[in-house]
This record gives sequence, structure tokens and C-alpha cells, in this order.
Amino acid sequence: MAALLLCRTLALGAVLAPLAAAVPASAQAVDYSALEAMVGEPVTTSVIGKPQRASEVAASVTIITAEQIARSPARDVPGLLKGYAGVDVNRWTAGQSDVAVRGGVQTYNARLLVLVDGRQVYLDHYGLTDWNLLGVQLEEIQQIELVRGPAAALFGFNAASGVVNIITKRGGDAASAHVTAAAGDHGVSRLAGTASLPLGGTVRARLSAGRLREDERRLRDGLLAPTPIVDVSADQVAGELSARFGASEATLGGSHASNEQIEYLPSQLLSNQRYRSSNVRAGLTHDTAWGGASLNGYVNWLNADYGIEGSDGVNRVSAPIDNRLVAVKAAALYRLDTDDTLRIGGEYRNSRMRGPAQFAETIAYDVGSFDAMLDLHPIERVGVSAAARVDRLWLGQSGAIVQPALDDPAAFDRAFTRLSFNAALVVQTGANGRLRLNGGRGYQLPSLVSFGFRLPLAAPTPVPIVVTGSPRLRPVAVWSGELGYTHALGATRLEATAFYTRTDDAIASPGDGLGPNLELFLTPSPVLAARFAAVGDYATYGTEWQASGRVAALDWRVNYTWTQTDGDLTGTALPVPYALAPRATTPRHKANVALGYDGGRWYASGLARYTAATRQFAFSTTQQLLFYRVDDAVALDARGGFRLTPALELFVAGENLSLAAGATGSPIPADRRVRGGVRVTL
Amino acid sequence: MRELIGAAVVAGSVVAPLPLRAELNVPIAVRVVSFLQPPLSGVMPAAIVVAPGNAASMADAAAIERSLGGGAAAGKATLRTKRVPVTALDSLSGYRVAFVTAGTRDDQGAIAAAAARGSVVTITSDDACVQAARCVVGIGSGARVQITVNRAAARAANARFGSAFLMLVKEI
Repeated sequence: MAALLLCRTLALGAVLAPLAAAVPASAQAVDYSALEAMVGEPVTTSVIGKPQRASEVAASVTIITAEQIARSPARDVPGLLKGYAGVDVNRWTAGQSDVAVRGGVQTYNARLLVLVDGRQVYLDHYGLTDWNLLGVQLEEIQQIELVRGPAAALFGFNAASGVVNIITKRGGDAASAHVTAAAGDHGVSRLAGTASLPLGGTVRARLSAGRLREDERRLRDGLLAPTPIVDVSADQVAGELSARFGASEATLGGSHASNEQIEYLPSQLLSNQRYRSSNVRAGLTHDTAWGGASLNGYVNWLNADYGIEGSDGVNRVSAPIDNRLVAVKAAALYRLDTDDTLRIGGEYRNSRMRGPAQFAETIAYDVGSFDAMLDLHPIERVGVSAAARVDRLWLGQSGAIVQPALDDPAAFDRAFTRLSFNAALVVQTGANGRLRLNGGRGYQLPSLVSFGFRLPLAAPTPVPIVVTGSPRLRPVAVWSGELGYTHALGATRLEATAFYTRTDDAIASPGDGLGPNLELFLTPSPVLAARFAAVGDYATYGTEWQASGRVAALDWRVNYTWTQTDGDLTGTALPVPYALAPRATTPRHKANVALGYDGGRWYASGLARYTAATRQFAFSTTQQLLFYRVDDAVALDARGGFRLTPALELFVAGENLSLAAGATGSPIPADRRVRGGVRVTL
Repeated sequence: MRELIGAAVVAGSVVAPLPLRAELNVPIAVRVVSFLQPPLSGVMPAAIVVAPGNAASMADAAAIERSLGGGAAAGKATLRTKRVPVTALDSLSGYRVAFVTAGTRDDQGAIAAAAARGSVVTITSDDACVQAARCVVGIGSGARVQITVNRAAARAANARFGSAFLMLVKEI
């Protein structure tokens, strides 16, 4: 019975995790494309806030370039990330993916902060990233930067295990447009277009739009699922104006996106969801003789409908959530001398969640932040960086309180302060070696849902059960340390990293073992409460080995990751009390081999991925939360293209050509998906 | 203090300057020009400073001309080159950018003086010219692109670069 009740509740939105976030370092003032062309390698600002060569950063960073994106078999950002070391990408359903850095695999992963040009696309209400709601097309991405390890001192809350910073292309001085159309089996169709238009000498406009349709995968027998299951649909439109006046640049933009798909909630219950999001943003950067300054602000609106199209079964209960995020950030980067820099910044953010399924009509918090970063080079071959950030959060609730109230309203009148930090030492050893020791502490915020969610189970029970958040939850501390060495041998780059990450007081949503964890409230109408809770600590440690290079028109990349997880979480014996078990859900071994060839008119690329077996949570048709084995897998992805003219390309691509059931790391077996299409450049 | 730290950390490591190749890496040099502030625009004459009779200099000049062809885009500017012999450096004053070829080391003092008078940004593959503050920008090549900017020479030539650019190069 408890399982059934939980299912109903969780199906509507239950489980969850932390949240929140930050504005990036220096929005779009840096011309990444021009700098990359000059130094011959990608440039990033995601580590210490100043432009750095990818080979010189004081952290584990992966940068995927526009060229690599264009030739990849992948069709979305998680698909691009899955072939790199230290990353777990679980495509739970056809539309829902989660990216975990160095372990801690779970649905609605709240520990990875995701930004597009510095604007948070991570969704605060649940602390998740909907990769089909980014509002950006692959064709307009200049590069994708993945920082592995806490980066909270630069980005704030939720950059707890890492950051994905997606940088879009700047328009050129001439008008240009790109259109991509593709179709394949399993109902896959995608149409995307981008255009860049100079408007006079100083103003540029950029427009993009996309439409995606895709059938859901076939569920294995015995899994609990809503009927019907919605297929994936995603539509996006975006626009931006930018103007350069001397050393200053101003941008104004906005986007709208919608997405419908079935997802595993943090409770591991499958539920159909519909999201609609919009944003407006503005930024101003100014370049000076001493460095630069930036001022950025944006507003994100999200409307999320949980439990649509059959997710709610016969009880017709759903959980709409509205979330609005307002963020403003200012930063200045000073060149102290020829090599050393100081960066200081401040940020204010307000995140507000409204809906009927929560403690009160509105649950909200304000966050004020100050950060500073010092990057010093006491001698030519040594770099030292240290950064710290103070975040002060004020939590609150307002509006009508749902009765019976399961918490004292005063419990929401709460504030806390957290200090995040990062530090790194980089030593160049010889002409081609680089030794790196770095670490830090970041925080994952409890999400608005985990603070203030409240949803009665629909099924009749002797005593009503309510799944509820807790205003007393504390931010989850994530400590990390790593030692890395990179070595260049001509065009070949070798890298080895050992890492250790500890997560304190991880937050989880109730599983189906409600009994021991229920709180009884002896109100005039007694109720039982099942809460989101801090369920324990765990640590991951391991090694990452990478090599990459290029020989004439052939480029190659291999990597291997070993990840071990230890912890004292609440256990996985039936009935499962909380749906969080990173030791079981994180693969211990992963290896990738990628090859690419570009011969001018012809190009081809392939990726072979090995992932060790795991066990993943899912509800059975008997409404029990169970572990399902996901077999180890060797998945093959490939893409080939032929350029009929410089402006017209035909391509065919396929994912999981080897038909490995465990390729997606999901209880729902992976299938093979093949598509073909055309890409036109005007 | 820096010396102490350096001695402690670098002990055992190989300290060797990156070699600069004889011929200028022209595509990189053109990109460097695009980071000048304020940005250049329109057709921009660029000098190739040569030492007539010096084979290395003439070969370098020819390579630069081959690489640039009829003109190369540097941001919103288009560079059109013309040779300027070291015997006629007064004519440098009509240029904003000059590529200093190899084989002109004996004349680098005069080139620097002329460049300062005419606010000309000098770019070379000769690291010694940059180290001596006689050229503004040095471009090394090899497996790893290395760009050096001499602050004193830049100041003398009234040249300013964007801060993002300066954070990626070696400034001396």
C-alpha cells in the first residue's frame, strides 16, 4: 500500500534535489572563435574567469568544439558529452538525459550547473537540466565546456560536481544562415535553422529555431508506466541583438522553448511531463587597459506540468509548477601585471516557485553573493589560483498555506551563509609536461521542491499520506581534490588524473519504503508525512586516463575512467526507503574510443563506448521500487557525410549501432536509432 | 621571493625558450592584427620590412606575400602588403602594421625608431627583436603557437590590444 501511495505522489513530481546557481564569468565579451584560431586551441573562461588556453587551465576541463560537434553522430549535448572521461550520461528515456560528473548517477541530477552563454538553464524548481529545453541549436554552438569538479567559487550554488558552459557563436561580418533537416527511424525528425545578420556596422542580429520529434523507446515488461506514454517533442526559438561601440559590447536576447516527454522522476516513477520556458537577457561588457568589466542580467520563466497524459492514472491529480528566476551579476577582471589577475564579482538572484502542490502558494529565496579570484604566476612555470565565494540565502514562503500545515510557517523564515572555494597549483615540468593539484568545496542547494513541495497521495488510505519537502534541509557540501598530469608529444596529448569527491548529507526523495520514515501529525484530521531528507554521505574516487591526437586528416581520442563509490546511505534493501544509491547506479569502468576523418568532401566519425554494468531503480507493475540490472555495453555510434558543395552536405548517422541494451544506462533498454539528413549553409 | 619559489619548483625541469621559426607565421600575424584596439577597418596597407640583398629576408618577404595573396582579412580590415626596404624606413610612417622579416637584425634599431615615429605595430618571427623592445609582437611556431608582446615597444608604437588577447599571450 505504501508503495502504491508513494507511486501516486512521486508520479506527480516528488523526488528531487538541490538547486540553484549563478551567472557566468564574462558572458560573450570574449570572441572564442577568433582567440581559438589565433592560439590554435580552444580558449575558455570557465575555470578562473579569464581567458585561458585549454591546455593551461588549472582544472579538468573538456572542450568540444564546433568542428567536433558538426562531425559527431550525437544529436544533443548529452550525446556529445558521453564520449569523454569522467562523465556519466544516462539517457533514461528517449528525451530525458542526466549528466553526472565523477559518480553520483541519479535522475534529476542537481549537482551539475548548466549555462548557455553564462545564463543558467538549470531549472531551479527541481534542480534539474532539461536538455531539450536549452533554447539553443547544436548548429549555433561555438563550444561546450565541461569543468569536472566543484566550480562553485566562480559559479555559485550547484556547480557542486561540475559545470557545463555552452558558448554560442558570434555572428560574423557577413550575413549567414544554416539549415539542418534530418529524419530517421523511431519517428525521429529534426529541423533546425540559424541566421546571423549584420545590421549596419556595429549591430548584429542572430536568430535560431528548432523542432524535434522522436518516439519513446519500448519499455521492458514489468515496468510501471503511465498510459499512454507521450513521445518526445521539443520546439525552440531564440533571438539576440548585439552591438559593439568601441571597447564596449551590449547584448539583448530572449528565447522560448517547449518540451514534452516521459521522464523518470527523482522517485524513479515514470511520468509524462510538459515544460514551457522563456527568458529575456541583457548584458554589457567593457574592455579596458586594465582588464574588463561586465554586467549581466536575465529572467527565466518556467511552467512545468507534471503528470500529464495518463501519469495520474484514474485519480486525475497533477502538479503544475511555475518557477521564475531573476539574476543580476557584475564582475570585473583586473590585470595586476603581465601575468597575474584578480577577478571580483557580485550577484543577486531571486527564485520563486508557485503552484498548488506546495506548503504555501509561494516558496522563494533570495541569494546575495560576493566572489573573488586571484591568479598568480610567481615564476614563469608556476601558476597558483585561489578563489572564494560567499553566498547568503534567505528562504521564505507567502500566500495561503495548505492545511493541515505540516511545518511551522516560521521554519521557512530562514537564512544561511555558505563559503565555497577553489584552489589550484600548476607546475610546468619540462617543455611539454604540466602537473596540476587542485580542489575545492561547492554546495548543492536543496531545490525549491525539496524545501516546500506538498502533495497528498491520491489513493485512499486509513490515514492520508502527504509527500512533502522540508524547510530545514541544508545545502549539500561537495568536497573535491584531484591530481593531474598532462604531457604533449607533438600532436599527441596525454592526460592522467586521480580524483576524490565527498558528498555530505545527500538529499533524496522518498522511495517506496515509507513505513519507518513516516511522520505522524495528530491534527484534527491526522496525516502521515513522507519527506525529502538528507540520507547520508558518500564518496567517489578514481582515475581518468586520456589520450588524443591527430595524424593528417585523421583525429583520434581514447579514454578510460575508473570510478569507485563508497558511502553510508540508507541502503537498498526492500522496501527501498530512498531512491538514491550512487554505488549501484554509477558504472565502475568506462572506456571510449573515437575516430574522425575529414578528407575534404568526405568525412566520417565513430565512437565506441564501453560501460560496465550497473543497477538502476524503477517501479515495477507491482508498484515496488526495485533495482533492475543494466548490462555492460559496447555501443557504436557513427556518422558519415558528403559535401556536394561547400554549402550543401548530405549525412547519415546512427547511435547504438551495436544494439547494446545497456548503452543508455537506463532500465528501459536502448535501441538503435539511425537518421539521415541534409545541411545547407547560405 | 619569486626567485626562491622558482628555484624550488623548477629544480630539475628543463628550461628552454621556445624556438621561433625563421619565417613569419602569417595567418597568426594577421589574426594578431585583428585584436588591435580600436579595431582597424577598411583597406589597410601593411609594410614588409626587408633587407635587400639578404637572402633570408627576401625569402621571408616572398613567403609573406604568397600567404597574403591579394589581401587578407584581419577583422574588419583587409591587409594589402608592400615591401619597405630598410634603406627607406621613413616611408613606414604611412603604415599601421609592419611585418619585420628575418635577416634584418642589424637594422632593428632603426626599424624600431621609425616604427615609433609612425605608430607602426611591428610583427616578427625574430624573438630577439621583441626581447630587445625593438618589435611589438613576436610569433613563434612549432607544435604550439607562442605569441610575445613587448609592452615598451607597444607603448612606443601607440598600440593597444584587447585584454582577452593580452591574457593569452606572453607579455614582457
